[in-house]
Amino acid sequence: MIAIERIVKRYGAFTAVDDVSLAVAPGEIHGFLGPNGAGKTTTLRMIAGLLQPTEGRIVVNGHDLASDPESAKGSLGFVPDRPFIYEKLTAGEFLRFHGGLYGIDGVGITARVHEMLDLFELRRWEHELVESFSHGMKQRLVMSAAFLHRPRAVVVDEPMVGLDPRGARLIKAVFRRMSDQGVAILMSTHTLEVAEEMSHRISIINRGRLIAQGTVDEVRRLAGDADEHFTSVFLKLTGGSGLQEIDEVV
Amino acid sequence: MRAAFPFLLLPFVWMSRNRVRRRERGDLLRTGLFGAVGLGVCAALFGGAFWVTRELLAFAEFGDYLLRLGLSWLFLTFLAFLAFSGVVTALSTFFLADDLRLLLTAPIPAGRLFLARFMRTLGQASWMVIMFLTPVLLGVGAARCAPPAFYASAVLIVAPFAVIPVAAGAGATLLLVNILPARRARDVLMLVGLGFAAALVLILRFIQPERLLRVESLPDIADFFATLQSPITPLLPSFWAGESLFAALQGGFDPLHGSALWTTALAGMVVLSAAERRWHFAGYSRSQEAPKARVTPLRIVDWVAHALPLSTVRRQLLIKDVKVFLRDVSQWLQLLPLFALVLLYLYNFRALDLDRIPYMSGFLKNVYAFLNLAMAGFVLATVAVRFVFPAVSSEGTAFWIIRSSPVRLREFLWSKFWAGLVPLLLFTEGLTIAANELMGADPFLKIVAALAVVFMTCALVGLAVGLGAVYPRFGADPTQAAGSYGGVAFMILAVLYIIVTIALLGWPSSMWLFSRIRRVQLSAMREFLMAASFALAIAISVATCLLAMRSGVRALERMNR
Repeated sequence: MIAIERIVKRYGAFTAVDDVSLAVAPGEIHGFLGPNGAGKTTTLRMIAGLLQPTEGRIVVNGHDLASDPESAKGSLGFVPDRPFIYEKLTAGEFLRFHGGLYGIDGVGITARVHEMLDLFELRRWEHELVESFSHGMKQRLVMSAAFLHRPRAVVVDEPMVGLDPRGARLIKAVFRRMSDQGVAILMSTHTLEVAEEMSHRISIINRGRLIAQGTVDEVRRLAGDADEHFTSVFLKLTGGSGLQEIDEVV
Repeated sequence: MRAAFPFLLLPFVWMSRNRVRRRERGDLLRTGLFGAVGLGVCAALFGGAFWVTRELLAFAEFGDYLLRLGLSWLFLTFLAFLAFSGVVTALSTFFLADDLRLLLTAPIPAGRLFLARFMRTLGQASWMVIMFLTPVLLGVGAARCAPPAFYASAVLIVAPFAVIPVAAGAGATLLLVNILPARRARDVLMLVGLGFAAALVLILRFIQPERLLRVESLPDIADFFATLQSPITPLLPSFWAGESLFAALQGGFDPLHGSALWTTALAGMVVLSAAERRWHFAGYSRSQEAPKARVTPLRIVDWVAHALPLSTVRRQLLIKDVKVFLRDVSQWLQLLPLFALVLLYLYNFRALDLDRIPYMSGFLKNVYAFLNLAMAGFVLATVAVRFVFPAVSSEGTAFWIIRSSPVRLREFLWSKFWAGLVPLLLFTEGLTIAANELMGADPFLKIVAALAVVFMTCALVGLAVGLGAVYPRFGADPTQAAGSYGGVAFMILAVLYIIVTIALLGWPSSMWLFSRIRRVQLSAMREFLMAASFALAIAISVATCLLAMRSGVRALERMNR
């Protein structure tokens, strides 16, 4: 599971994340929504161990990230919005190296690498350099790496960006299967339909603060209309549609 | 992660292997050219070290003393270089490298990550010193017929010697990133670089090595050596390394200085490791805040651009190029070693005491004027390959903006040409005029050189911009474009162009000077040939510029199809 308790991140006088708490239970897919610059990526990067919170506590599968970072990171899979991949490595080499970082080596690694490449339909490209991959293929390779070590919790930043419909369907199916197996998934996305379709619960963050949390229906009720389209609910909660201004400008 | 720290270096091994296996176009040419140049430099260093050491043998004990002093100063220079290089490299390897985004999310023990990053820092910061030291020490050893133990000792001495300043530099970076706002760390590094360059010039100014060449100032030589033997040097690792090596050269062993090197290196590693465990993540986290750095408005760029008679498109392209360059401190940082070298270069001309040989001084000054022009050309080519050649590549993934806008690619490329030409022309013209002035060259040659620089700069900037457009590398780091196939091709063509131009200018200039000194009337035919030679130099310059620019525009247009 993933639990963040009252985390704050300040950049000088600017507070990017302000007193945010949330918990993702085992088997839960938690949608993390918010407009651009709301603090989603900063929050996810703090959970992944890339940014140090100014205040607050992060616990991954029972391990405190500050006091026991190796155990916390060892049980977490992270898919960043702008992933780094060694361009001059082949897909197979990259996954083997990634496996090694998480303690998977020896005979088991080859079978596991093939399993992941098959799952994400990249087996044909195992011996090709990453630099020749399309954006969608790189995205699938990063997912393969993140799930290689069978994490019990996963943090995903914008998983659907750059994926074709087939790739998007594949990722959704993988997430559902992992959720069935008890993996906690925290997923940030701008695609509200995906969040609505996939998430057991959602959190909405705006200007660094959590403004809504609950199931999709609970959030709808919070916005005042249980039958409203989810995009309208999101816009109502995060500060208006801006349509009037668009009319004036255009 | 259970694997030892070298596992973290595996991607670099695999990537190197893949690069060798999947050669790109021009790799063989580049390797051959760089390899030949490298071997030539190594051979020259070996020969120089061998010759100096052999010459010093003739002075018996005084020669030994000079050799010890020389080794100590050689290591002192490297100590400063390694410390500075350690600061800059550690900023990249410990805080800014892209792969940290992957490694820091993995369960890697802090100690192993430190060791892997430190090894990478050490390798990157010290390879140049090792490449330089190897032929020098081999030359010294060969000249003194040193026992095999000398070569083994050299390895055991150079290893801890390199670790100490790099560890100190990495420690300074750690401190810098944690104390200062991270966004300022790069700026401070720039100041450190400036300080380093200034210190280098000051040290040379202080010891005035040219005094050794003046026979009449023999009594001063005692002062000179007294200056060299600064009281602080025995406390520095450079002194320990020099003494240990000298002892090994004589077949002996210097346990005091040898153990001082090893214990200091190990202590440095232990302290740095502890400090990195404690403060690295905090520093890394702060360095991620850099993208939110305060923007320098640079309004003066807008004012200047608006004052120039430019079309709107060219004005906006100019403003964009200048601001992007000025806001990227890493670009500035690379100019610093160049400025230090230029200062030293000018200082050498100032210190050049050609009047000591009166019957030759007039001739030598004029030969030096052409050497100076050739040197200015090579400096220009080096600056152009680093800063002008990547002009198109530096558009990077944002090049779609240009390609999808109603901007003619010809206009785009020529704006790159002018943006590169003006600063380079000012720089090279200043360098040439200052050097010729300091040396006291003939007024005729001063004018020829000043005019030649205008044409040479146009040709080399045009060649760099044009070839940069023919061989762009949008995906890669533009700073690495200089080492690409196109970059190497540019350097080869630039060197050929400089040699041809200097020959075409040098011949008529020397004819004219000799005729004036010997008061000989030149024949009409000879005068015609001299004028033709000047005209040919100008024609080659103009043709080089225009042809390269035209092929650059065509290459960009082909990209659109």
